[in-house]
Amino acid sequence: MKNRSYANSVHFYGILWDIAALLMFLMLPVAICMHLGVWPAGSYVFKGLLPVAMLFYPSAIIEVITYTPLLGAGGTYLSFVTGNITNLKLPCGLNAMENAGVRANSEAGEVISTVAIATSSIVTTIVIAVGVVVFSPVLPYLTDENSVFAPAFQQVVPALFGALGISYFMKHWKIGIVPIAAIVIVLLFKGTLATGVLIPIGVVVSMLAAHLMFKKGWLDK
Amino acid sequence: MDFKSDGFMYALGAAVVLFVIAQSVFFLVRAWRRGRELGLSAESLKKTVTSSALFTVAPAFAILATVLTLSGALGIVLPWIRLTVIGAINYEVPAAEAAIEAFGSAGGMSQEVTDPTVFATVAWVMTLGSILPLILVPFMLKKIQKGMSKAVEKNGKWADVMSAAAFIGLISAFIGRAIAGKGNAEIVGDGAGVMSIAALLSSMLFMFILQKIADKFELKWLQSFAMPFSMILAMLVVMLLAQILPQNIAVFEWRG
Repeated sequence: MKNRSYANSVHFYGILWDIAALLMFLMLPVAICMHLGVWPAGSYVFKGLLPVAMLFYPSAIIEVITYTPLLGAGGTYLSFVTGNITNLKLPCGLNAMENAGVRANSEAGEVISTVAIATSSIVTTIVIAVGVVVFSPVLPYLTDENSVFAPAFQQVVPALFGALGISYFMKHWKIGIVPIAAIVIVLLFKGTLATGVLIPIGVVVSMLAAHLMFKKGWLDK
Repeated sequence: MDFKSDGFMYALGAAVVLFVIAQSVFFLVRAWRRGRELGLSAESLKKTVTSSALFTVAPAFAILATVLTLSGALGIVLPWIRLTVIGAINYEVPAAEAAIEAFGSAGGMSQEVTDPTVFATVAWVMTLGSILPLILVPFMLKKIQKGMSKAVEKNGKWADVMSAAAFIGLISAFIGRAIAGKGNAEIVGDGAGVMSIAALLSSMLFMFILQKIADKFELKWLQSFAMPFSMILAMLVVMLLAQILPQNIAVFEWRG
């Protein structure tokens, strides 16, 4: 009984926080308009929003469907407020579950992923806030195209997914071959595809291939 | 004082920061308590916190770098707010560009926004374009999870394979892009090239070695730190290579 009540309470409070976040986000442009005393005509906002919405609304739907099973309930409610899911929250949660040796679809997995994602959100928020206030005068030099640190910052993503990837491939290398090959082939035809498009392709191909391999018994040890 | 970074804007930023931290602490405390009830040790929960915090530092600095990139056009506060909530560079830049272009200025983000109306429009577009997930999550999450738990009940081993496959599919997208992706021509280091492969392979290698060491000598603490250490070491390798290699090799990207 206790078991159900934790899951239910995560949803209850998650939805409350979700609505609060939604209201706060909408208040931001309202507050800015009130403060500046300008109200842009709806037509300009619409004109600006249209191309963005055409691209990002469908991908938002795909994101919600793809990530929620991986993030767990608590992790989902947190991640969709703070963002930076693929490059930070998701790998962070995966890494934590891997280290703690818990299954993603168990309640312990839910707890560990929530702890990891909450910690990550707090640290990110603090790093950015402190960075903005304290380092803003010097940081342009650090991130400047010619600084010695710039090449490293540009490669954060490959560095992150290389380390995360190898720990998965060491266990499930058979599952890894098909999706990586598929993504590389897709990119050979259209190299500019964004990760927002590549992720659903990778996930679907990987799950289909794994399903077939499982049925054929190739994944039995 | 510039209206884009006056006291009022900083107050808005502070309010957003407080909100995000309050929400995270709320879920953290509740998950921690539940973890203790489930029999997870305080030590393993603490380790989750420290390793997640360490893991986050490098990407957080990368996000901070994004804030600074956007601050040229929009001042520092609006990008700060946007990247604290929901934001990610691949969304914020097109949103701001589209909003500025709606006013017919071709320069887009390359110039500082000085018109309050344009600035307010940018804020609206960034907000309206990104809130859809917050509307969807309350409706969809429970249904998706129900479907999941049914599959788990029916066939546990299959569900485990599928969940690993989903993770691997996601990881493949990023690895594939580091191998064969074509970047934005104007951004050095965005496409697949010497640097992305160097980062990818060296972080894989460091992770492999560190995990082997951790397993062999049963160093539990090293297991938690293997991931952030590998990342940071790989980034050091990239920095080093950028210094040693001849310029034209270091920035070579085969897909342009």
